[in-house]
Amino acid sequence: MVLLLAFVGTITSWTYDPVPIGPYQFNYPTNFGNRTFIPDDNPTTKEGVYLGRMLFYETALSANNKISCGTCHQQALAFTDGKAFSTGVDGSLTSRSSMSLANMLWSRKLFWDGRSNALEGQAAIPMQNPHEMGQMMQTTVRKLSRKMPYPELFDKVFGKEEGINGVTIIKAIAQFERTLISANSKYDQYLQGKHKPTKQELQGLALFNNAPQPAKSIRGANCSRCHGGVKTYMELFHNNGLDTVGKDAGIGSLTALATDQGRFKAPTLRNIALTAPYMHDGRFKNLDEVLDHYSDHIKTSAALSDIFRGASNRKDGTQLSLKADEKKAIIAFLSMLTDDTFIHDPRFSDPHIAATISNK
Amino acid sequence: MKQLLTTIIICFIAITALAQSIKISGEVAAPTELKLADMAQYPQTEVSRKDRDGKDHKYTGVLLSTILQKAGATLGKDLKGENLTKYITVEASDGYQVLFALAELDKDFTDRQIILATKIDGQPLALADGPFRIIVEGEKKPARCIKQVTAIKVAFAK
Repeated sequence: MVLLLAFVGTITSWTYDPVPIGPYQFNYPTNFGNRTFIPDDNPTTKEGVYLGRMLFYETALSANNKISCGTCHQQALAFTDGKAFSTGVDGSLTSRSSMSLANMLWSRKLFWDGRSNALEGQAAIPMQNPHEMGQMMQTTVRKLSRKMPYPELFDKVFGKEEGINGVTIIKAIAQFERTLISANSKYDQYLQGKHKPTKQELQGLALFNNAPQPAKSIRGANCSRCHGGVKTYMELFHNNGLDTVGKDAGIGSLTALATDQGRFKAPTLRNIALTAPYMHDGRFKNLDEVLDHYSDHIKTSAALSDIFRGASNRKDGTQLSLKADEKKAIIAFLSMLTDDTFIHDPRFSDPHIAATISNK
Repeated sequence: MKQLLTTIIICFIAITALAQSIKISGEVAAPTELKLADMAQYPQTEVSRKDRDGKDHKYTGVLLSTILQKAGATLGKDLKGENLTKYITVEASDGYQVLFALAELDKDFTDRQIILATKIDGQPLALADGPFRIIVEGEKKPARCIKQVTAIKVAFAK
C-alpha cells in the first residue's frame, strides 16, 4: 500500500513539467520601453508564473468546474473567445466582450472601463461574478487545497505560511498574465528592419499614423492618436461615437459625469485581426465594419471625444470619409499586427492538456 | 412625481459638479482637491495661443505655479538643490498624461506662463475640453495643452 501511494505520488509529479525556480526575466524589444508595472508585493518568479499558468487554465476555479480564465481568453484567438459576449456558469451572458490579453506588463488600468488598477485586483472579479466563473474565493481555496499538485506548489511559490489563499491565487495568475508579451508581429519585424511591407501595408501604416489635413492634401485616419506607439496601446479611454445614447455608459456608469458617457478603453490593436467581434459589445463582426464606423458613422453626443470632432478628409466634413481602397490598406496594415509566435508560444498554452497527453 | 424627478436631476447635476475636480498630490505639503469654484480666489492670468482651428484664442485661468505653491510644492525660493529634480505629471480624464519639470513653471526661471485655464474667450471651456485645461504659452505643439485635467502629481525623478 505504501509502495502504491509512493507510485501514485511519482506519477503526479511526472505529469507536469518540473517547476523552475528563481526570478523571472522578461524579454521584450528595447522600443517597448521600461514603463512596466509590477506591484512591489508581487515580484515575478519562475515558480509563480508556472503556478499562475496552471491556475489560468484551471476549471476548478469555476462553480461548475467547466470554465477557466482560458475559456474566454483563448490563446489561438489572442486570448479572446470570438464572441460578442461570453456565457457564464449560470448560462447568462457577460455584459461586455472578453478582452484580448497581451502586453499587460505595461498596463495599469484593466477592464473596458479601466476600473481596476492592477492585474491583482482584476482577476478576482470574473472569478467571483455569478454570471462568469461564479465561485466565491473561499470555495476556490477549499477546492485547490484538496487538489494535487496545488498545496505543494503554493508552498513552493509563496511559502508554507501563506500557502493557498485568495491573495496568493490572484497573485500567481497576475504573474502569469504579465508574461503574455506579444512582440514578434510583422510590424515589430518591420520596425526592426527585418520585414519589408507591401505597398498597400505601407499606405495603411501612413493612414494609420496621419491626422487628416484636407487643406494640405494629407489623407489620414489618425488611428495612432489612441492606438499609437510600438505596442499600439496607450491606455486611453474615449467615447468613439458608437451611439448617441448607448445602452452601456462605460466609465459614465462609475462617475456619472456627462463627459464619461459611453467612454471605454481604446484597446491594444495587437493581434486585432484575430479578436473579432469588435468593441465592448462585439457589435462589429469584422474589421470592415470597424473601418466603416470610424470612416462614416461617428455619432455625435456631449461625451464624444474631441479627437473625432471635425476630423475629416473632406474640407468642412463631419466624418473621416475614407475611400474604399484606404480602408483596405488600413486593414492590410492591421493584419501586420498578428503575432504568430505569440499565439503558438507553448509557454502560454494550457499545461493541463500537455500533462494529460504526456501521461497517456 | 415631477418634483421627485427634478430633485433627482438636481442631485445628479450636483454630483457631476462635485466630481469635476483636480486631485493635487505627491510631493506637496497639503494634498488637495481643487474645484472649479476654488479658482476664483486666485489672481486670473490671460494667455493667448492658437487652437486646432488655427485661430488665436484668449485663455483665462490661474498660473499653475500659484496653485501648486498653495498646495505646498517647493517653488520660488525653495526651488533649488534636489528640488530641481522634481516634476509634475498632469493627467486627463481619458488617461492621457504629460509632464513638466517644476522649474518650467516657476517665474524666477521663466517668463513663459503655464496656466490652468477655465475659460476660452471669456466663455467656459467646451465640455470636451474642460472644465480645466492646461495652456502653455508659446509652445509650438499643442500636445501638452492637456484637456479635461483630473489630476496633478508632484514627484522626484529617481
